[in-house]
Amino acid sequence: LAEILNLCDSQQLSFVHDFVSPRLKKDPFKTLPNELCLRVLTFIDDPRTLARSSQVSKRWHELLSDDMTWKNLCDRHSYRRLSASSSGRNSVAIDRLPSIIPRTCPYTLPAPPSDTSSRLYDQYFPGPSTSAPNLSLRSFDATADSASPQRRKAISYKSHFKQRYMVETAWRHGGRVKGRHIKPDQGVVTSLHLTPKYIVVALDNAKIHVFDTEGDNQKTLQGHIMGVWAMIPQGDILVSGGCDRDVRVWNMATGESVHTLRGHTSTVRCLKMSDADTAISGSRDTTLRIWDIKAGICKNVLVGHQASVRCLEIKGDIAVSGSYDTTARVWSISEGRCLRTLTGHFSQIYAIAFDGTRVATGSLDTSVRIWDPNTGQCHATLQGHTSLVGQVQMRGDILVTGGSDGSVRVWSLNKMTPIHRLAAHDNSVTSLQFDDTRVVSGGSDGRVKVWDLETGHLVRELSTPADAVWRVAFEEEKAVIMASRASRTIMEVWSFSPPEEALV
Amino acid sequence: MSGPNQVIRLMSSDSVEIPVERVVAERSILIKNMLEDIGDSALTDPIPIPNVNEAVLRKVLDWCTHHKGDPPASVDDDSDSRKKTTDIEEWDQKFMQVDQEMLFEIILAANYLDIKALLDVGCKTVANMIKGKSPEEIRRTFNIQNDFTPEEEDQIRRENEWAEE
Repeated sequence: LAEILNLCDSQQLSFVHDFVSPRLKKDPFKTLPNELCLRVLTFIDDPRTLARSSQVSKRWHELLSDDMTWKNLCDRHSYRRLSASSSGRNSVAIDRLPSIIPRTCPYTLPAPPSDTSSRLYDQYFPGPSTSAPNLSLRSFDATADSASPQRRKAISYKSHFKQRYMVETAWRHGGRVKGRHIKPDQGVVTSLHLTPKYIVVALDNAKIHVFDTEGDNQKTLQGHIMGVWAMIPQGDILVSGGCDRDVRVWNMATGESVHTLRGHTSTVRCLKMSDADTAISGSRDTTLRIWDIKAGICKNVLVGHQASVRCLEIKGDIAVSGSYDTTARVWSISEGRCLRTLTGHFSQIYAIAFDGTRVATGSLDTSVRIWDPNTGQCHATLQGHTSLVGQVQMRGDILVTGGSDGSVRVWSLNKMTPIHRLAAHDNSVTSLQFDDTRVVSGGSDGRVKVWDLETGHLVRELSTPADAVWRVAFEEEKAVIMASRASRTIMEVWSFSPPEEALV
Repeated sequence: MSGPNQVIRLMSSDSVEIPVERVVAERSILIKNMLEDIGDSALTDPIPIPNVNEAVLRKVLDWCTHHKGDPPASVDDDSDSRKKTTDIEEWDQKFMQVDQEMLFEIILAANYLDIKALLDVGCKTVANMIKGKSPEEIRRTFNIQNDFTPEEEDQIRRENEWAEE
């Protein structure tokens, strides 16, 4: 045969090649048993390739419909949480809440897999020789009941993956935005919260506006007579405070004022809830007050700070407060007393985060300090910012800070070292939030930027530059921007949800 | 004598005896378990490998010889080694430069003989042949007949448009 080929010219060889080469090719998915085909597919982590593969032939399409492949991809992309829960979400986590809401909950789906996929599963991963055990569908049924009936339900890993992928894609370069003009225009937005039911905006002109989650159906809560500087929502209840020294309790569903709580002798600067009935306020009068918002009474006054109480965070029975007196204090809420004073900063504390085991404080002295609330010891002083650190959020072992120097910094709390230094804004960072995948920052330079938490790369800018961005908040499929544009106060609601019809 | 350098004999499906160092053959969990079960009689009789022919078995043993010193894979190695999916070390890449028939035979043999690392290299090799290709390119790569009707094809293409953005 070799001699014959030696006699051939290139044209003949080319013919032989065209004749022979298809014969050397073979469909792997017809040659190999299902179990091995699926194993091959586990090595493909690019959804586009998988989607294209399903268009090759009926056999390939059938294999690519196997949900284990998509579950794998969900795991690979860390799409762990269910999007159905994003509609009935119970994590209120916006604007520096008790920062750690662990996302380690196992991957769950609201409905059991279709018969086919579970049957395929059994059939494809039968024996000990495969890597099946870690692919098991552990939590399918456990959460079936608790899943929200609202909106769309992912019924398979494939559709779940598709939905998450489309959301991620929209975050990168898509999304729909709806703008809304907030009148009057001279109001400065002091606070913004997203909850599962509401978007709440407070202004320095004494107004609080409540919208539905789409940014429609505006209600205005009227009662404060001066600027509102702090507020905290909980279900239908909102607690607010500001320059008029009053703490007010509202029902956002009806718009009515439930209580007016008096006691502070100067501006209320920060507010947090410790449980459904208890709110704690911090004031320029140097005290914190613990309120029973059901009964409408002051339960305790926490005295100790020597200057304005600027920021506050609560975990369980422990409240930590940061003050212009340069210290932070650790309080027992039930005992109503100061447990410890955290001293070390050289200048006013503007921001605080607390996860139960660590306290992070940001100060005008440009440093960030990490403290042990149990001993009062300062674990680390994180240097790098060149101006006031006004934004601090903690999540697991990651700390993100923003400063008046315009930079956003991502830190490792394990090593107490910087991970990323983002030259985010030309001017102050006015707003900052991060989750597992992204950091969103807003600046007084009028820009809103989305960053990849892991790489530190700029993913995109949201919207066109405004005059100034007051506040930004986001959740899984939504972001809300409060900004000033052409001297008008604007609310922009960004949605990254795929259109309903795309998910059928 | 028994020991890692002891030579045992394997019998391929086409009845060819292949001598091989015990430590090499024991890369196969199947053979390792068999040797433990049958004990010293392994010295006298060749071990039948009825599912693998001589050519493929020799190829697999080549791989086992090269990798005989590898540390044993740990149990949770699975998730880690799968993260970098395109990673195949250079020697293995060359080793896998065979025709598709042989490649698939190696995968089948690795699965049968329970040589997980080789199975993964084989599966990764196939995965890499698929990655980044259009449906038509995949069909050409493996000489696959498009058995969709135009309507089905159109429907499936639309179903998958979301991934193309």
